[in-house]
Amino acid sequence: MFSKILIANRGEIALRIIRACRELGIQTVAVYSQADQDSLHVRFADEAVCIGPPVSSESYLNIPAIIAAAEITDVEAIHPGYGFMAENAHFAEICESCNITFIGPTPETIRMMGDKVQARETMRKIGVPITPGGKGVIKDAKQALEVAKKIKYPVIIKAAAGGGGKGMRICHNDVSLTASFGMAQQEAEASFGNPALYIEKYIADPRHIEFQVLADQHGNAIHLGERDCSIQRRHQKLLEESPSPALTAKLRKKMGDIAVKAVKNVGYRGVGTIEFLLDADGSFYFMEMNTRIQVEHPVTEMVTGIDLIKEQIAVAAGKKLTIKQEQVRMNGASIECRINAEDCRNNFMPCPGTIKELNLPGGFGVRLVTHIYPGYKISPYYDSMVAKLIVHGPTRNDAIHTMRRALDEFYIAPIKTTIPIHREILEHPVFIQGGATTHFLEKIMKNEAEVSK
Amino acid sequence: MNLKEIKEILNLMNENELSELEIEREGAKIKIKKAAGEVPGPAVRPVVEYAPPASTSLPAEPAAAPPAAAKTVNISSPMVGTFYRAPAPEAPPFIEIGAMVEVGQVVCIVEAMKLMNEIKSEIKGKIVDIPVANAEPVEFGQPLFIVEPA
Repeated sequence: MFSKILIANRGEIALRIIRACRELGIQTVAVYSQADQDSLHVRFADEAVCIGPPVSSESYLNIPAIIAAAEITDVEAIHPGYGFMAENAHFAEICESCNITFIGPTPETIRMMGDKVQARETMRKIGVPITPGGKGVIKDAKQALEVAKKIKYPVIIKAAAGGGGKGMRICHNDVSLTASFGMAQQEAEASFGNPALYIEKYIADPRHIEFQVLADQHGNAIHLGERDCSIQRRHQKLLEESPSPALTAKLRKKMGDIAVKAVKNVGYRGVGTIEFLLDADGSFYFMEMNTRIQVEHPVTEMVTGIDLIKEQIAVAAGKKLTIKQEQVRMNGASIECRINAEDCRNNFMPCPGTIKELNLPGGFGVRLVTHIYPGYKISPYYDSMVAKLIVHGPTRNDAIHTMRRALDEFYIAPIKTTIPIHREILEHPVFIQGGATTHFLEKIMKNEAEVSK
Repeated sequence: MNLKEIKEILNLMNENELSELEIEREGAKIKIKKAAGEVPGPAVRPVVEYAPPASTSLPAEPAAAPPAAAKTVNISSPMVGTFYRAPAPEAPPFIEIGAMVEVGQVVCIVEAMKLMNEIKSEIKGKIVDIPVANAEPVEFGQPLFIVEPA
């Protein structure tokens, strides 16, 4: 097991990793930008190194600074968290060449799954169902039109180097496809440094179902069930739950087995998530694979009782998985609400600022993950998530009641947050019945906008 | 940190009418807090919290300002790495305390990932202190030289 790890991240995930390390007896090193010098992750770590000014590119994305910090503190491994450099194959390679273990999959795997076209093709060859679409990169609008004719509208244009819901365009006919194609190439170049695009059939009203996988370096791989992340705004997840109200045990086994097959086939190691789109008729399609720990990992932890960060660290240290697939049980139901410092009544405008008053929820079945405290300054340089409120109950209905109760206890002032919209979601009949698809949130917000006119 | 040093810190606090002071240095951390509303003086019984050294942590700046300082400017580290006073192990240091420094003059090396980076002064003045020892690790923004501008 490692004796010292550097956490190349900040906020709640840095805290999460530090907590796991502390329980495992691993010394921790936090890195921080000047904007984060009063952060909890800096205070909780055994050592802390300031690596740069507030701007991410000069701090949390600054590879030389992070590697230098790793060298002067003499760490054995770096945990990249999520975002930042978690899926940066180049960074993973540099860690390897400096004899520091990158806690994650190999650079080759990161690259392969990071190229969405290649990932699709790899999955197709293994026999994982993929969304009908063009084969490979689409060169020009003419080719795009040919593909669309074959797979039928509506189609969605995606960036090969994209992911995470960014840089996508939906087209319903030849005219819009021709018009969008060129622009999409430019956007892809600007956002991801690569103009390559691919096209898939656009599934009208899917659910976003992802399977948590865990694989060691000895060929063992298991899945830990699914998470339903259909509640999204502009392709960014807002609320997640496990298990999915849409899955039967039979479908879970089918999708889970496929996820494990995919993971074993690509020689994966560590934690990962395979994202599927689930259509109303029960057909599912591979969308993408995330080769890192995810924001919403706690709902899986609550339902399975397994500490994913500890497992991730153990695997990176070369240990064999101690859990067999038959031993994985999903008990009860868990829901997570992402609490962002955004004004949900005002187009989700980010609300940086100082937290003057704070009351944190608690009680039986409540797990709060946060890096905020009274007096904490939410800075404008990083993402707006300030807390994850997770609940667990014996049934989904119990979990919903606990979440409502916990949200009502959660008081933050004067910062505006997404708490009100979560409260609304949890009262909505469609959500309560378990019928929310990826357009659910969009629809209720549109209705609100019309009502308030 | 020994008793003598702690007594010196207490005197410093009284002289400067400080109510709270936290110092972290070379793996040891000490926090001293006076009860609120009391007049500083020998009658006060400050609360002393001493945290035993956990592991080597990087030195942080003391919370109190040093007494009676002329205006000074810091040359701070622009990167994370290891601080070296001289261009090579046997060579003389780039600059000493008391010497004058010019703008653009190389004052030290910060080594990161096996690359030696020469750090140049952006101020003209006199070096009054060098708070980091040779071969010590430094972080971004850490003061390397205290300069009295000319």
